[in-house]
Amino acid sequence: MGPQILLSVLFCLIAAVHAGQLSLQSPKLTVVGPDGGKLRSEPISLQKRADPVVLGANDILKLTFQVTDQTSDGGVQPHQTFLRFFDSTTGEEGIQPVKVTPSGKAKFELNMAKPPSSLPPSGTAPLRVSLLLGSFVHGPAALDLFDLHVPPSASAPVHPDESFYHPRPEIAHTFRPEPKLPPRFVSAFFAALVLAPWVVLFGLWGAVKPSVPHLFSPSILSFVLSLALIEGLLLWYWVELRLGHILLYGSGAAALALLTGKQALVGIAARRTGSSK
Amino acid sequence: MAGSKSSSSTPKHAPSTKPALSSQSSVALQSLWSAYHDATPSRLKFIDSFLVFLILSGVIQFVYCVLVTSFPFNAFLAGFASTVGQFVLTASLRSQVNSVNRALFKDVSPERAFADFVVGSVVLHFFVFNFLG
Repeated sequence: MGPQILLSVLFCLIAAVHAGQLSLQSPKLTVVGPDGGKLRSEPISLQKRADPVVLGANDILKLTFQVTDQTSDGGVQPHQTFLRFFDSTTGEEGIQPVKVTPSGKAKFELNMAKPPSSLPPSGTAPLRVSLLLGSFVHGPAALDLFDLHVPPSASAPVHPDESFYHPRPEIAHTFRPEPKLPPRFVSAFFAALVLAPWVVLFGLWGAVKPSVPHLFSPSILSFVLSLALIEGLLLWYWVELRLGHILLYGSGAAALALLTGKQALVGIAARRTGSSK
Repeated sequence: MAGSKSSSSTPKHAPSTKPALSSQSSVALQSLWSAYHDATPSRLKFIDSFLVFLILSGVIQFVYCVLVTSFPFNAFLAGFASTVGQFVLTASLRSQVNSVNRALFKDVSPERAFADFVVGSVVLHFFVFNFLG
């Protein structure tokens, strides 16, 4: 299927090249006033550009032409015939299709009292009028005709979303100021104040003097040391270690503390129940 | 002993009620204190002094946060939460090992209570150091 389409397209292109170019025969332009009087009537020359055509608010522009082929004598009916009105200052263009008879004759009328909606919104710049011809069996043709002055139109309607298609105003962020540390003296004073309860604690403990008869027995001592190891690991984690490390080492130290703790507490319990007996 | 104390401190004819009230309250506090001092075993007093330390520590940290700055807020939260959490753990340990509460905690031996306290404290310390930054 693919190669067949390609072949047919190639065939058409070759045919078009051999069939020749489209051109106009006897193009004529007429401007008729509102009262019916002919204001301007002249043939259009494709070689020499005509003077710009000026249309009043109620004038009628009439175009007649016949589309011909270089090879055949009679006219041809191209598959597409469009009149293009182009405003170079705004970049707007309007396309108006033109009916062409099978013999190639075409007639176009532009009534400024009832302008077609395809006419682009224009200001004071002239509209370039050109004829676009398209055909399957001929090469395409774009024929520049003349310049047209029409009464200025109302400005193009603004799309409701127009405002979104322009750069937005710059966003100016305001950031909260960086938090500052209090002056060193205040920090030092409050640091000392926060550490003061430790003094109170040791003072109270000294006053209480609880009896710890078996503190340095091997089981209790090893338990206390393994707890100290855990706390030391936590301090190390605070300064340097990463989470994976502390979890690894901590689980090891926790296992050790479990073992020694079980031994120590069982011993204490035995001593407590033994002595109470 | 407490009664003789109160009779010696209150005057026979009270000119106004205010000094009597304040002296009565001070007498009440004194009797409370001496009852505590006499009746509490030294191990419980050991734990109580730790509780007092924790309260003081927490209060001072909070006062600093309110008065001066809460700037490293995570540090304040970690420190304050450590005192509060440790207080809760220690208070529960105290109530569980108190021989007066033996009837309430029949299946929790003091050793078990202490083991729970240790585990809870270690976990609390880990989270506190995590958050301290």
